[in-house]
Amino acid sequence: MDIELTINGERTIVEAGSGDDLATVLRQHGYIGVKCGCDGGTCGASKVFVDGEVRMACGMAPADANGSEILTVAALGTQDDLHPVQQAFVDNFAVQCGFCIPGMVMQAVALLDSNPDPTEREVREALDDNVCRCTGYQKPVEAVLDAAGRMQGEQSVAADGGQPVGTPREEGDAAGCCGGECDE
Amino acid sequence: MSDDDETARPDGGTASQSETVEDERSEEHPLEWDEPENNDKAPDERDSVSHRAEKYDDRKLVTGQAKYTADYEERYPDLAYAAVVRSEIPHGRVTDIDTSAAEAMDGVEAVLTPESDAVPDAKYTSAGQSYPEPSPWDMHVLNEHVRYIGDPIAAVAAEDRATATTAVEAIEVSYEEDDYVTDPEEAFDADAPQLFEDGEVENEIVGHDYDRNRMAHIEGELGDVDAALDGETHVHETEWETIRQSHANVEKHTSLAYTNEDDRHVLITSTQVPNHTRRQLAHLFDIPIRDIRVTKPRVGGGFGGKQAMVVEPIPLALSLATDRPVLYEASREEEFYAMRSRHPMKVRAKTAVTDDGDIEAIDIYALSNTGAYGSHGMTVAGNVGSKPMPLYSKVPNARFEADIVHTNTPQTGAMRGYGAPQGTLALEGHLDEVARDLGLDPVEFRRRHHMEVGDLDEIAGMMGGEGAERRIRSCGLDECIERGKEAIGYDDLEQPAADHLHRGIGMALSAQGTGVAGDELGAAQIMMNEDGSFHLQVGGVDIGTGADTAFLQIAAEVLGCDEADIVVKSADTDVTPFDYGAYASSTTYISGMAVKKAAEDAKERILDWGSKLLDEPAEDLETGDGTVYSETSGDSVTLEDIGYEAAYGDDEREHILGKGTHCTEESPPPFAAQFADVTVDETTGEFEVHKLVVAVDCGVAINPGMAEGQIEGANHMSYEMAVSEGITLDDEGRAEVADFDEYGLPSATETPPIESILVETHEPTGPFGAKSVAEVPTNTVPPALSNAVRDAIGVRIREMPITAEKIKTKLDEREG
Repeated sequence: MDIELTINGERTIVEAGSGDDLATVLRQHGYIGVKCGCDGGTCGASKVFVDGEVRMACGMAPADANGSEILTVAALGTQDDLHPVQQAFVDNFAVQCGFCIPGMVMQAVALLDSNPDPTEREVREALDDNVCRCTGYQKPVEAVLDAAGRMQGEQSVAADGGQPVGTPREEGDAAGCCGGECDE
Repeated sequence: MSDDDETARPDGGTASQSETVEDERSEEHPLEWDEPENNDKAPDERDSVSHRAEKYDDRKLVTGQAKYTADYEERYPDLAYAAVVRSEIPHGRVTDIDTSAAEAMDGVEAVLTPESDAVPDAKYTSAGQSYPEPSPWDMHVLNEHVRYIGDPIAAVAAEDRATATTAVEAIEVSYEEDDYVTDPEEAFDADAPQLFEDGEVENEIVGHDYDRNRMAHIEGELGDVDAALDGETHVHETEWETIRQSHANVEKHTSLAYTNEDDRHVLITSTQVPNHTRRQLAHLFDIPIRDIRVTKPRVGGGFGGKQAMVVEPIPLALSLATDRPVLYEASREEEFYAMRSRHPMKVRAKTAVTDDGDIEAIDIYALSNTGAYGSHGMTVAGNVGSKPMPLYSKVPNARFEADIVHTNTPQTGAMRGYGAPQGTLALEGHLDEVARDLGLDPVEFRRRHHMEVGDLDEIAGMMGGEGAERRIRSCGLDECIERGKEAIGYDDLEQPAADHLHRGIGMALSAQGTGVAGDELGAAQIMMNEDGSFHLQVGGVDIGTGADTAFLQIAAEVLGCDEADIVVKSADTDVTPFDYGAYASSTTYISGMAVKKAAEDAKERILDWGSKLLDEPAEDLETGDGTVYSETSGDSVTLEDIGYEAAYGDDEREHILGKGTHCTEESPPPFAAQFADVTVDETTGEFEVHKLVVAVDCGVAINPGMAEGQIEGANHMSYEMAVSEGITLDDEGRAEVADFDEYGLPSATETPPIESILVETHEPTGPFGAKSVAEVPTNTVPPALSNAVRDAIGVRIREMPITAEKIKTKLDEREG
């Protein structure tokens, strides 16, 4: 069946096979930053924004996303111009194998969107359904707290090249709307 | 370890550390190591290795652009997808496989059964170990004799995942059911159902007795343990039990196989052991090693679960049958019931201690449940003794013994810690009890007895085979204990105001190894480009640990350049030099030393060219800041100038190449001191772990940021062993856990803060003083938490996991 989605700012019609979940459909269209670590809806590696709300794409039927705006991790920063949350994960050694990281970064962005100055407990609660086997959550929690600090001070946001969280980049931005993953 | 050697040490000796022995062995295991001058640098002299350098693949990882095996899907438009039919009974024979409905389905490309031509008949072990593997060849790729719920029987390739899954469901398997056994103690009875016939297994392991389901028995002794236990000393005996833990690597076992345009068979696969996998596939499929290429992209965690050829034969067989690329990605449910897990064990510890608190003897026995097959069974069990017991290397009488037994339960395998967590729980929990019984401070008791620099550790070698007698040349245990105590607040613990709450601190020590002593090989090559940059090709396997970054830092330290000027390519058997793989805490130490040697080899050529260009003797020259400079004249020439001159010079030309290969008999132990701070509610048994502190001596930490990450992740895995049920099984041995929401991996809110402390020592046998880091903190939380609960409220939990219910039961028993 055909589904209409706006993925990282680009409107597109995608075909979804029967039994495919939204994560599979996004991956088939090249959004490999959407990861699949479980049998559906339990590990958090596939988290994306669906109409501004962070969701596990693997736990979602494509039909339920019809007409919605999807943001994947590719909508955040590029390798040369990381989003402050991504930069904080790098700087705090919060990344080991990295498989769960796109989902964790998206969740962290969602948290800081709604709560720019979270406590450590609030960060842990936000990351509670993101499974990470490598880090023991210690450095990811530190990274999110660090990112909150960076994003609060305008200067550090500018220094990091950060963008407003949870929103696609403005058209005309050098990095493009989706970090270079779409054709625009 | 020979098959017929039932007694103690291979050398037949039983003596303890007498002075004669010590003299004889001083030469064999000298304290002073012949260390190259450049290996021992003060912290401020290290240009690269001690930096918190950015992990080289991080930007790709945080932007979601890094490629793991499944991400290669889009590259192969004709890709077929595999799914596997697995046994639904714990034990029996397959009498019929009806594949007709599956084969008739649109989109099904192949259905393979044990009879199919493309399916190898040969026996093998999946254990990714050196050759011949110290694991029995007791497996088939597809099975007629099934031994656990999950054993693979048939495999399907179809044009999409959904069709493959539907086809698997349409295959009907008929069985003749056999009796089964899931409890290891029952399996060891003479009249228990038998999993293997005598003589059925190839490459049998020492002490096997298949009539009693025993795949191996190992033992070793120093001194006379029985005499010491019979002496007039305090004899304590305790028994401990550990969980069946899942690796829970977030990237599932995934493997993509195809045959390329040169008729060579390629596997892109999520593995820790590319070279072992290549050799094992060659054996199974009777294909020359040279015609198989195993390449590892980014790997989403291994933890030992991928130190095995778990899935690769299935996509390869399907690819050969269909002449198409085939991707097999295990489901999460399969991860829990049909991949690998940590060996659940019962471990008994016994000691003889004098009135003065001297430990006269340590005696440990382990009963290990290896599940349906024996991969890693003997070697994991060996480490139950050979890793923790050397902590007390001065104890004159020591014995370790283990039986490794089959049951009709899921397969076990290598897992981070590799037997040491089971042994450390028993030993460190036991010694805590001994100290408390004798009225001694448990921390001081350990401090009095633990290993020190200069010790000749015979215990690690007392069973022969894996692990060997060794001299201890670096040991930071005292500082680990001291800094750990301070960080946890050991000396000024405040009790909660409420009377029903009790707070306590527990401590445990641990030692691991650094590589398998005498059974490792790593190799690397460095090529210089004309612009002064380098390509580093190394067999070492980065499974998310940051090994590639450590390799870059080691090479940059030698070459005097920026890490960014080196491109690393690792773990592709067609391109990179040989390596045993990422296991046994070997990567930085073995593969890293190979990188160092390769860089030194290249550096020698670079200095030679520098000598020509600067017209000064090479002995006066050094590399640094991307140049070769003269320590006498102060003149310098850039690496780029040297690169261009070497490649395009008028008189002579040379491609500057360095190669390094490394093996060693050494396996220096890293050390850890773990502390856990807990409050227990005496009315309910509920407890809260406020903080975990773990201080680790890993020698010189190559990239301290990455080292801390390894420690914290390992400690989280260790914490899980202390508080979670692991993979629980029903009466038929069926895993009761199918997805992450059913598996007790402590989440972010369920995990206490973990403080990692790096205690630097210098290990002269390791690259720039490094030894291993990633396993030792896996061993320590179960004993530390058991000890903390004991400290807080006076009851002892020996059977993992520690639960409120168990504590409450013990409290009620005490009251009653």
